[in-house]
Amino acid sequence: AAMIIHFVAGLASLLYLPFIFTIVLLVIFLSATGLTLGIRQRVADLLILIFEWGSNVTEEPEEPTKDEQTQKEEEEPKPATIKKRHSSSDLRIIKREHSDVIENKLQGQDVLKKKSTVSVLVDDTLDFISAGIESIIEDNVTSRFSAEQLPSWNLLSRTKYDFQHISPKLTILWILGFCFRYLILVPIRVCLFVVGMASMCLIASAVGHVPNKSIKKWLNRRAMLMSMRIFSRSFSSIVRFHDRQNRANQGGICVANHTSPMDVMILSCDNCYAMVGQKQGGILGFIQTSLSKAEHHIWFERSEANDRKAVSNRMREHVDDPSKLPIIIFPEGTCINNTSVMMFKKGSFEISATIYPIAMKYDSRLGDAFWNSTKQSYGEYMWMMMTSWAITCDVWYLPPMTRLEGEDSIAFARRVKKAIAKAGGLVDLEWDGALKREKVSAKLIALQQKLYFERLSRRTSMCNDVTDEDMDILKNMSEEDRNQLLKQLDESDDVDAVIRKVSSFIPEVAQLVTEGNQTEPVN
Amino acid sequence: LPRSQIGMGNSSSQLPRDDEIETIAHETEFSRSQIVRLHARFVSLDKKGRGFLERDDLKNVPELAVNPLGDRIVDAFFTVGGSYDDGAFASVKRLDFRQFVRVLSFFQPIDRSKKNVHNRRTDKLKFAFIMYDLNKNGYITREEFVVILNSMVGANITSDQLDNITDRTFAEADMAKDGRISFEEFCKAMEKTDIEDKMSIRFLH
Repeated sequence: AAMIIHFVAGLASLLYLPFIFTIVLLVIFLSATGLTLGIRQRVADLLILIFEWGSNVTEEPEEPTKDEQTQKEEEEPKPATIKKRHSSSDLRIIKREHSDVIENKLQGQDVLKKKSTVSVLVDDTLDFISAGIESIIEDNVTSRFSAEQLPSWNLLSRTKYDFQHISPKLTILWILGFCFRYLILVPIRVCLFVVGMASMCLIASAVGHVPNKSIKKWLNRRAMLMSMRIFSRSFSSIVRFHDRQNRANQGGICVANHTSPMDVMILSCDNCYAMVGQKQGGILGFIQTSLSKAEHHIWFERSEANDRKAVSNRMREHVDDPSKLPIIIFPEGTCINNTSVMMFKKGSFEISATIYPIAMKYDSRLGDAFWNSTKQSYGEYMWMMMTSWAITCDVWYLPPMTRLEGEDSIAFARRVKKAIAKAGGLVDLEWDGALKREKVSAKLIALQQKLYFERLSRRTSMCNDVTDEDMDILKNMSEEDRNQLLKQLDESDDVDAVIRKVSSFIPEVAQLVTEGNQTEPVN
Repeated sequence: LPRSQIGMGNSSSQLPRDDEIETIAHETEFSRSQIVRLHARFVSLDKKGRGFLERDDLKNVPELAVNPLGDRIVDAFFTVGGSYDDGAFASVKRLDFRQFVRVLSFFQPIDRSKKNVHNRRTDKLKFAFIMYDLNKNGYITREEFVVILNSMVGANITSDQLDNITDRTFAEADMAKDGRISFEEFCKAMEKTDIEDKMSIRFLH
C-alpha cells in the first residue's frame, strides 16, 4: 500500500511541476505580446453558471425566503450589462422615509404654512428622532466601507456569512472549489507573481542604463506592460477596457475611483502611467527605486507629503513636461467598496486644467477586490486575492474634461466625480472617504444646525424680515451657493446679523440664477 | 437542515443560532429574514467585533452625527435598550443584539389587528420622552428642554428667543404648572400628533 502511495505521489509530482511550468511560460509569452486566449473569460462564465446553479439548490429549506428572494429579483430589473449593477443589490432593511422628510424640511421644500412654534418644534423633533433611528438601521456611508453583498454565494468561505443554509451538494462543490483554488491556482499564481516582480525590477533597472531617450521610453513601455500583464494574470484578473480612444497619451493627469491597491496594476495593463505616492521602506521601497530608474515617478518623502504646496509643485512640474508619462491619481484618498464614489479631494484638480477621468467597476461575484484597510493588513489582502476565483473589472476611459470659466476646483472635482459615477454605474456621494477612520467634522454638524435654524425662521413667527420671494430663492439655491452663504455666516452672529447677511446674499444669487438659466448649469 | 460550520471568524460575526432567532422573532414580531439583515447591520456597526455595541459605535454613523439630536437619540437608545421587562429604565453602556432589536421593534408600524395597539403608542412616546428627560427622573424640566432646543439650532439663537420658545411650550404642555412636564402631561400634549405615523419606520419584508 505504501508503495502505491509512493508511486501515485511520484507520478503526481512528476506531472505537477511541468504542468505549472508550462502554464507560467505560456502566460509570459502572452503577456509579452499582449495577446489573450480568452481562457479566463470562459472559465469565469462557467463559474458564474455554477454559482447560479448552486444558489438554486440553497432555496429548498425555507419557502418564505425563496419568495422574498425571487420577489426582490423581480423588483430590480436583471442587469443586461455589468454597468447597471449598483448598490440596489444591497439587501435593504427599511425604506428611509423619515430621512427624506428631514432632507426636504432642511432644504425648504415642504409646504409653507405658518404654524405655531411649538407644534413645528414637536413635529420636527419627532421627524429627527425617526430619521436618526433610520440611519442607525441603514446609512449611506458606513456601508461603503465594507464589502458589497452578493446575490448568490460564490463558494468562498469568506462570503458565506449572508447565506445560512448550505446543503450537502453545495458543500461538495465548495470542497472541489477549495482544492482547485489552493492546489492548482495558487501555486501558478505565486510563480507568476514572483516572475512578474523579478521582470519588472530587473528590466526596469536594465532599461535605466540605455542612453537613447526614445528607445528607453519604448523599452520601458513594453517592459512595464508585460510585467503588469503578468501580475494581472497572477491574480487572474479579467479586465475589459472601453472607449480606448480617450486614453491619455501625452502627459496630463488621470483620475479614477479607488477600490483596491490593484487599481494601478489593472490600469497599467493598457497604458503606462507615472505613479504618485509616499516613499516606503523595505520591499515596496525597492520596487519604487527600480521603477524610477526607467521612468519618472513621483515619490514623496514622508515630511514632504505634509507640505501640500511642495506636492502640488512637483506634480505641476511633471505635468508641464510633455516627455513624461501621464500621472494617475485617486482623489478619494482611500479605498471605497465600489458601490459608490465619495468626495474627491480638490488638490489634483488645482494643478491642471485638463483631466482624463477613468471609471472602474469591479464585478465582485468571482472575488471582491475591495481592501478594507481597517480590517485587513496588506499581506492578508494579497493572500485573499490570490485565493479568490478571479478579479473582474470594467474600465471606462472618459473623454477629457477641462475646467470651465469661473469654475473653482471643488466644483470641477464634483463634476468629474459625477461623470465617473455615471459611467461606472456607481452612487454619487458627497461624503468624505476619510469618514472610514475619522469622525464627522464639527463644521458639518454646525451646518445642519444652521439649516434647521433657517427652517424655524421660515416656518414660525420668530422673525419676519425675509420675504416669500427670498424664500423661493433660498429653496432653489444650488449647493455651491448655499456653501458660499454659509461661509459668510459666522458662529457668533446673532439673529439680526444672519438675516442681514442672507438678505444681502440673495440678490446676488437671484442674478446668478437668471444668468444660469441662459447658460450651461454649473452643477 | 443544520447549518454547516465551514468558515472562520469569531462568534460575534456568525449568525445567531436558530433558537436565538426564534426567541427574538417571538419577542419583537420581526420576521426571520429581517432579523438576519439586522444582524448584518449590527455586525457592521460593531467594528471591533466584540459582540456588543457601545455609544460611540452608533455615534460614528455619519448621518447620525450630523443629526442635531444625534447624541440624545443614542442616549435614549441605550436607555430603552437596557430597560427591564417591568418597564424600569437603566442607562447601560453596552447593548447586545437582542437588546438592539428590541429597541428597533418600538419603531415598527402599529398593526391595528393586534391587541397591543395602545402599548405600541405608549412605547413610542416613551422613547421620545426619554430623549428629553436627560437625568431620567421621569420629568422634563425647563433646563432639559433648553438643552434639546440648543442642540437643534446651535449658536444661531439668542437666549431670549430660547426662553420665549420654552415659555410657550411649557404654557401649552405643563398642566400642573409645576415647572416640569411629566410623562402623562407629555402624552396629553402629543394627543393631537400622529405619533404612529411620525415614529414608525417602514421595514421591508
